[in-house]
Amino acid sequence: MIRCPFRHIGVIACAMTLAQPIVAQGGGDPDEFLRLEPVLRRALEKAAPFVVTVETFGGTRHQLGKAGPMDGDAPPKPRPKPVEMPTNKPSPLPQPKPLDPMPPRLDPRDWPKDVPRPVFPPPKKGEDPVVPPLLPLPPKPADAEKGEPKKGEKEGDGEKGDKKKDKKKKLPLTASGFQQTQGKTSGIILTSDGWVMVSRFALNLDPTTILITVPGRGTFHAQRAGEDTSRGIALVKIAADDLPVPEFVDPAEVKVGQWAFALGRTFAVDEPTVHIGIVSAKRRQFGRAIQIDAYTSPANYGGAVVDVQGRVLGIAVPLSPSGRNAGVEWYDSGIGFATTLADIQPLIDRMKEGEILQRGWLGVQFVSSWLGPGAKISGTPKGGAAMEAGIRKGDIILAVDGVDVMNGPHLQMLLSSRLGGDFVTLKVRDKRKKEDVMYGPLALQNAPWSEQRQGQEDVPATFDVPDPEGGSGR
Amino acid sequence: MTTLSLMLRGVASLALAAAAVAQTEDFGEAYSFEQRKPKTRVERVVDKVMPSLVKIHGASGIRGITSYATGILVSDQGHILTIDQILLQKDRTRVVLYDGSVHQAKLLPEDPNLRVRLLKIDPKLVDGKLVPIWPPSAEEAKFRTGQFVVSIGNCFRLAEFSEKLSATFGVVVGKANTALRYRVHDVKYDGDLILTDACNNPGHYGGGLFTLDGRWIGLNMRLLDSKETNTMLSAAIPVRDLMPYLEDHILGKRRVEKASTKVKPWTGIVLFDKAGRQSPPAYVDRVKRGSPAAKLKLRPDDLVVRIDDYSVRSCKEFRTVLSKFGAGDTVKVTWKRGTKIKTGEMTLAKHPEAGR
Repeated sequence: MIRCPFRHIGVIACAMTLAQPIVAQGGGDPDEFLRLEPVLRRALEKAAPFVVTVETFGGTRHQLGKAGPMDGDAPPKPRPKPVEMPTNKPSPLPQPKPLDPMPPRLDPRDWPKDVPRPVFPPPKKGEDPVVPPLLPLPPKPADAEKGEPKKGEKEGDGEKGDKKKDKKKKLPLTASGFQQTQGKTSGIILTSDGWVMVSRFALNLDPTTILITVPGRGTFHAQRAGEDTSRGIALVKIAADDLPVPEFVDPAEVKVGQWAFALGRTFAVDEPTVHIGIVSAKRRQFGRAIQIDAYTSPANYGGAVVDVQGRVLGIAVPLSPSGRNAGVEWYDSGIGFATTLADIQPLIDRMKEGEILQRGWLGVQFVSSWLGPGAKISGTPKGGAAMEAGIRKGDIILAVDGVDVMNGPHLQMLLSSRLGGDFVTLKVRDKRKKEDVMYGPLALQNAPWSEQRQGQEDVPATFDVPDPEGGSGR
Repeated sequence: MTTLSLMLRGVASLALAAAAVAQTEDFGEAYSFEQRKPKTRVERVVDKVMPSLVKIHGASGIRGITSYATGILVSDQGHILTIDQILLQKDRTRVVLYDGSVHQAKLLPEDPNLRVRLLKIDPKLVDGKLVPIWPPSAEEAKFRTGQFVVSIGNCFRLAEFSEKLSATFGVVVGKANTALRYRVHDVKYDGDLILTDACNNPGHYGGGLFTLDGRWIGLNMRLLDSKETNTMLSAAIPVRDLMPYLEDHILGKRRVEKASTKVKPWTGIVLFDKAGRQSPPAYVDRVKRGSPAAKLKLRPDDLVVRIDDYSVRSCKEFRTVLSKFGAGDTVKVTWKRGTKIKTGEMTLAKHPEAGR
């Protein structure tokens, strides 16, 4: 019997088989979308109260093509914690347990110089959720060939050449014809005492006034708190109590293929907007976000991405691997990102204090032709944590926090999820085959480069990856 | 509806060949396709409404302006509703019906607010029966956010002759009200717009937006350019807003036109404005004595953020928004003083020096 799995109207074979009992053709359930409508409606009703409108006033509009404070770029300086309004009820974030407990945060300046730094106990194997099992890739012939001549002294020259190439490949900061307007965007209420999470996109122009409109409650003046530039989120505080709070979904429970509805509140105050799609991928941007195929654009950045039960999967933000033209490259393209919030409670607490979180910066460049084990270092830029720790060209990083490093991209993977100031333990073998364990904090990514950043210098996002394939190493 | 969907086959096509009318071209069996019966909701809606949608071809020649659109047959006397655009020129507008027959269309007066226009073809020249659709009752024409919709139109002129129009599927994204409207080009009327993610490409304009039970809820508009978010929006005019125009021209009910005598309003606010490419936020510099703003106790350094539902982001927008009102109108003004948000009603006045 001929079966017709597709919904092609004009397939003659289908018409021929009409006499047969109805097979699974053209979708098993003729009313599937009619059944989905009330589901979507309920999710929308549950999620609508905590999706708020964000309006900004003032600020600077940056010229096209020039480096502005886009996501992932130089952040503004840390700002003081917003003045807490007196509130009677403490309001913890109703959510599941954090997935990944953050390492203890110590101030490196407090460490006495004469005391040797302790070695972090490496996590037991199989317990660390940060590290996914990576299978060794077969060496690419193209890489091996290219890598051969680059040895010893010439290696440095090769790096420079790659850097130049990278510069040429650099995408313009903003797509042609795009200029961020100071339109409304969205945000979600985080706690009932007035902490609101917004997309950093909303604050790109460094507005002087931020207003948050909570449906049914009116408009509030918002004070900026901390940000996480690596996740594209920012926290603001409004003076309101008894706000509706969302229920968060543990990212571990999210499954690729499940429905994801992207909500926003831009075009009308009384009703949110909704775009539907599915979860396309998890653990994007080194475990920071989920990827969805619902349309995301400035109209719903900052809005909630919810599941069929109206629980929050994440907050819609513009992200891109390059981190530079986020919000421009991919909008309305079916590639959207939602930063997961349930697993970053410690970070939210830090952001409440006004801290600006950024990617950690070890400051190493690795030899792409070195296939492992470990990552062979080809250079340590000045000011990086690696430089200060005494890691030199030719050294091999064997392990990060007890996890054996397979190759350069693996090292990048292990470190990219870390924030500036996070402590890491590195196992390093130097040229004389002497192994050493180092322990220390990662540098704030932009710290040594902040001057250059303003001068539109191309600066590596984490550390240089001289990848001949144009960054496909991630 | 199944008989219609199979119209181009078998007996129907024979009947077409037999009763050949002057403007009806019959391509017979060579241009018909086998079709199975519809099964899902979406398929059924497409089959049900397709005979009521027509292709419109008109004047062209200017680059970047499409010479094709879509229309909806709304009466059995041959009235066709579409979005008014340049291509609709007298004597140059042709309508292609579902069966591929081409008809010359007359233009009826447009609706200047909605920017829609009725065309009329001669029903006597149509072979067979016209299958019009009429907007459902106001209750049934309601749309909800998150409702699935099918949008039908001739996008990019992909359908020629008797080929079927393109159907796209999506969801009602939401509605856009006053706050959006003045940031969107080409929208003059005052109702809500249906926003959808079923795409409105060139040629899709004038097509219909239908729910999964086949109700007609909107007339597809041009792709809108939103200054609010710098995005393109697919939108449709809700059919309930089209009713007065349709009733006027088809049922003969006359509308009472409201004559507007708008006097330029005056608030008494002097803004802290400065010349430059970027207009600064609407901070109050001075308030004139005895003015509406003084009655509201606005003070220097207050930041005006909203007038009615229109958000005011700059001094330029303050003037744009204010020009929508006339003297004597009462508007709700929202302003920020320090970290407090205040709201008050202001009755706009005539400028004290005006009319002397």
